[in-house]
Amino acid sequence: MIMNKKYLVGVFDDEHTLVDAFEKALEKGVVIEEVYTPYPIHEVLLGMKTKTYISHAAFLYGILGVVMLIGGMYYAAVISWPLQFGGKPFNTFPSFIVVTIVGTILTITLLTLFTFSVSSKIFPGKNAVIIDVRATDDKFIIVLDQEKMGIEKPEITQLFQSNGATEVYEKEANTN
Amino acid sequence: MYKTDIRGKLVDGDKSLSQISTDILAPMYGKMPKWWYGAMTISLIMFAWGAKSIYTTLTVGIGSWGQNNSVAWGWEIVNFVWWIGIGHAGTAFSIFLLILRQKWRSSINRAAEAMTVAAVFCAALFPLIHMGRSWLFFYVFPYPNTRGPLWVNFNSPLFWDFVAISAYLLISASFWYFGMVPDFATIRDTTKSKVKKAVYGFFSFGWTGSSKEWLRYEGLAFVLGGIAAVLVVSVHSIVSTDFAAGITPGWHSTIFPPFFVVGAIFSGFAMVLTLVVLMRKLYKMEDFITDNHVDAVCRVLVFISLIMGTAYITEIFMAWYSGSEYEFFTFFKNRITGDYAFEFWSMFIYNALLPQLFWSRKIRRNIWLVFAISIFINIGMWYERYIIVVTSLSKDYLPSSWAPYHPSLVEIGFYVGTLGMFAAAVLLFFRYIPQIAIHEVKMISKYNTQQSDHLKPGHHDYE
Repeated sequence: MIMNKKYLVGVFDDEHTLVDAFEKALEKGVVIEEVYTPYPIHEVLLGMKTKTYISHAAFLYGILGVVMLIGGMYYAAVISWPLQFGGKPFNTFPSFIVVTIVGTILTITLLTLFTFSVSSKIFPGKNAVIIDVRATDDKFIIVLDQEKMGIEKPEITQLFQSNGATEVYEKEANTN
Repeated sequence: MYKTDIRGKLVDGDKSLSQISTDILAPMYGKMPKWWYGAMTISLIMFAWGAKSIYTTLTVGIGSWGQNNSVAWGWEIVNFVWWIGIGHAGTAFSIFLLILRQKWRSSINRAAEAMTVAAVFCAALFPLIHMGRSWLFFYVFPYPNTRGPLWVNFNSPLFWDFVAISAYLLISASFWYFGMVPDFATIRDTTKSKVKKAVYGFFSFGWTGSSKEWLRYEGLAFVLGGIAAVLVVSVHSIVSTDFAAGITPGWHSTIFPPFFVVGAIFSGFAMVLTLVVLMRKLYKMEDFITDNHVDAVCRVLVFISLIMGTAYITEIFMAWYSGSEYEFFTFFKNRITGDYAFEFWSMFIYNALLPQLFWSRKIRRNIWLVFAISIFINIGMWYERYIIVVTSLSKDYLPSSWAPYHPSLVEIGFYVGTLGMFAAAVLLFFRYIPQIAIHEVKMISKYNTQQSDHLKPGHHDYE
């Protein structure tokens, strides 16, 4: 079911005013729905409390890659089709290392990209739900869900404006 | 750490954020300049000659090349290694400078990565065609098959090479693409053209710039950056084992992997310099790619050139010191003197001596001199591969099997074709993709300027 939510949007001109307002709002216990910026701002990424486990996932993919690759080569060279050359061992492990390294890097890359795509919902043909079109250009935007922002509307408007917001407006959209 | 008061601003002209978007996107909106059509026509003519040469090779066979039983690897392997080397710059640029926290990389990395993808494509063509029966290329994939079932030889550097290059192509292409996603979103949100909005909207994958996206995006960049650094070093090491695992004099040496990796980064940086000098001139990007950026790349080149010189001299020294008469012959009678002396000394002068001019600030600041030297380095690096492949093969242990090698017209056409393909790809890149990573430049545009001085500490640690 498509449900439009009512949002309160604060627009800032630069990073410093945004970070100030963002941190002050957090201190007051405001629940911030989302922040849209033209580039990553670490204070915001930390303040939003979302965590990413993408590097942990990558590590697991790496282990998976190593096991699959060494297992696969061992299977091919020792079990499936052992070749006798000069009495050398079938399991020529040291020369499997190179393929393992490169193949593991490839496995990690592809699976991590896939994970990123799934977890951030970034995929070909997705329609972007844009709250304020200027957020990818030069504006920094804080978005609050009016139903659960933990503060009264006039108060947060005042807080935004006194901290350098150039605009505060309301908007209905469906971001889910 | 980058200090702007010592090394100059990262972005000149005190631009606002939207000014940065507009300036970088300007070449995509304006009318196509006349030179663009001219350059494209020339590239396509070159490409057509290359396509015809490939057609001849496929229909006539490898016999249409100038190779013989002794010199079975000619221009194709020379060009393959040369292109792969150039293809190293993009990822080396992005990754190593990212790891070293060099903020000046931001205005160059997009072009370098684009160049990487194009160069690796060109490189991959050579072994593919060199196989002879190229339509059976899938035999190199290790998969359960009906030919025995035979597996590929996992002990062969040639197979390692195949794995490394396919992986490198896929990884550098995806690294490049994901770097562009936020910029495509910027185009989608700023353009007035409906077609552009739809096309770039599709390619921007629904990017909005939310904090959740940025968080994971940075996580992704961190992971890919970390592992791709290993890849950069391993790919060219593997290319070098194609040679070093052979017992041919001049090849059978442990110096090869580091020598090749450094050489690759050297030629790649030189090619980046060539491109970036052209790009900033033709598209008036001087505010983003400032003289300081060019200066920084030149300094890196001085350093790498010293390593190259050391490697050349080490090889020569070891040829004498090892007491192996075959090695001695290869280096002293067949490279420093002899039939290939011209190629050897071109290589030595262009790679080890000429870049030493960059010690002078005057020369680093003279953009056309920088451009000329970067071209010479590219030529020098081509000669290096020629020296390695051709001298060693044409005169090996048995004088009765010595043979000279001259490329046939088909081989020359093939090479010129890849040059055309590369140039065409770069021209398309100039026109249809933001040449500079917009969001990264925005991030650093105010770095270390007065405006950020009153920020509390830690505000600008974007790494």
